[in-house]
Amino acid sequence: MSGIQFNNVTKYYQDGAGTKLTILDNVSLNVQPGELVAVIGPSGSGKSTFLSIAGALLQASSGEVIINNTNLSKMSPKQVSQLRLDQIGFILQTSNLVPYLNVLDQLLVVKKMKGKITGADKHFAKDLLKGVGLESKLKKYPEHLSGGERQRTAIARAFMNNPDIILADEPTASLDSKRAFEVVELIANFVKSRNKAAIMVTHDERMLSYCDRVYHINDGKLVLVEH
Amino acid sequence: MILFTFTIAIVFAGCILWFISKKITAPLREMNDIARLYAKGDFSKSVHVNSNDEIGQLANSFTYMAKELNQLENTRKQFISNVSHELRSPLTSIKGFIIALMDGTIPSNKRAMGSHVAVVLKEGNKDDSEKLDVSILGIEPGSFLEPSVVEGKPLTEGDNYQVTVNSSLKDKGIELGDILEIEGFDETLEVIGFVEGETFNHLPSIFIDLEPWRSIHFAAPGSDMGVESPVNAIMLQGDTIDTEKLANSIDGIEIATKKEAINGLPGYTAENGTIMMMLGFLLVISAFVIGVFFYVLTLQKANQFGVMKAIGASNGFLAKAIISQITLLATISIGIGIIFTYGTAAILPPGMPFALDSSLVFSYAIILLVVSVLSSLISVRRITKIDPLQAIGRVE
Repeated sequence: MSGIQFNNVTKYYQDGAGTKLTILDNVSLNVQPGELVAVIGPSGSGKSTFLSIAGALLQASSGEVIINNTNLSKMSPKQVSQLRLDQIGFILQTSNLVPYLNVLDQLLVVKKMKGKITGADKHFAKDLLKGVGLESKLKKYPEHLSGGERQRTAIARAFMNNPDIILADEPTASLDSKRAFEVVELIANFVKSRNKAAIMVTHDERMLSYCDRVYHINDGKLVLVEH
Repeated sequence: MILFTFTIAIVFAGCILWFISKKITAPLREMNDIARLYAKGDFSKSVHVNSNDEIGQLANSFTYMAKELNQLENTRKQFISNVSHELRSPLTSIKGFIIALMDGTIPSNKRAMGSHVAVVLKEGNKDDSEKLDVSILGIEPGSFLEPSVVEGKPLTEGDNYQVTVNSSLKDKGIELGDILEIEGFDETLEVIGFVEGETFNHLPSIFIDLEPWRSIHFAAPGSDMGVESPVNAIMLQGDTIDTEKLANSIDGIEIATKKEAINGLPGYTAENGTIMMMLGFLLVISAFVIGVFFYVLTLQKANQFGVMKAIGASNGFLAKAIISQITLLATISIGIGIIFTYGTAAILPPGMPFALDSSLVFSYAIILLVVSVLSSLISVRRITKIDPLQAIGRVE
């Protein structure tokens, strides 16, 4: 079974007095390729923690996370880092582009992390940027891009490694509604056309129409609200 | 009666015979005794014979022989005493010298030199402030000790008081052909050439032939302590000189290598120690400054590194990027630094004792580069600790 699966995942922190602070409580979720799932919830509800565990940035306290049939809890940190590079594409809040790289290089640096950049990689990157409508801004630096353009660059970057899982952390946080719709529509299109399993964390309920399923998270509990 | 007469005649003849034989044999016996004395080497006695006969002639010849023998003996004694006197003390030295020469301990390149600190005044100048402190160095013209002239002519042999002087004296108004008076000395020096970068104990050097140097240095009667052709030192040049062996093979000499001699200059070790300490601190401080500079630069980019890590950059990838960037930056800045250093050296006043050794510049550039790269490791350490988590849930 490909895609990403959460099986009874719990994440808690223990403070000095021995009190357990539960962030995620027995979360189970299954996202298949071609699906875009939204997770909504107020701030502090555990959204970011959820996404961090999905992105292999955090280890679950109990339960298992399976990405493409690989159980994350059994991997070394180095293997996890490699898996992140190969199989997970992040779309972060407010794009988080590297300020010293132009739009094309933002994508190519991902390839550079793996080794050499080939001509095919360049072609693929240009294709992706064309897909997000930035073909005329390949040589622009992030400071000369609008918020929407930056976020579109980040989306293209998330797909650069041809990952199986796309994780989006509030991709519309800093955008006006017109741009926000464009961005979410873009993500949805990419996910469908490229057959990726995608989870989008957001508190923006306007965007939910693009999603296949919507979960609500509150006090660490994940509840399906819409199908 | 006949018997009586016969007896008288015999006695008389016997007396006459005894007397005659005595007269003949006495000088012979004397000669015999004296010959024995001569044989023992005593030539104080001579034969006294006043007769003119054959015996007298023999005695004269005998005396002549004795005189000649005596003279020969004296010559021999004198020769032996002279030779043994000449040989006795230096014999060991000569032996050592020959051994040292034969096994190459003493190289073929060996030259004498002497130094003398003096005050000179250009002829025609009267003012005290125009007096110059100099080192007068006596050398053999044409030897390896003579520096090449950058202007004018080199030294020639002879008692001519011609000198080549360090070019720093040009700033004091000294020109080719100038005459310099030496304080406390009658002869004057004629400047025939300039040499470059030659100072001794911070005093500009004046080079002169050894012979006139001796007249200057040992001007006071008896100051040479009766030594013939005195010098301060004999310089040996070669790359196989074994100083220990040299010291063992020749008595009564003091040996110093160039390095030891330089270290022995008054104040040199102290001066050098201060400069080396400043240099050491400079390197340590620059290591700190460079390290902190790059560390702050890295800290400012911590978020970007976090994002890079979140999208899959490994620590190795980032460390490589950091180290290569710091190496590139350091190389460029060191290059600019070297250009500025040479630029500063070019506009320094010529009298300033400042020399840039390009091999020294090169080695310190390398040291600085290594220091920069090492200090970048602090930044690398920081990067490995950046948690990619900080990219999640962060609002710019």
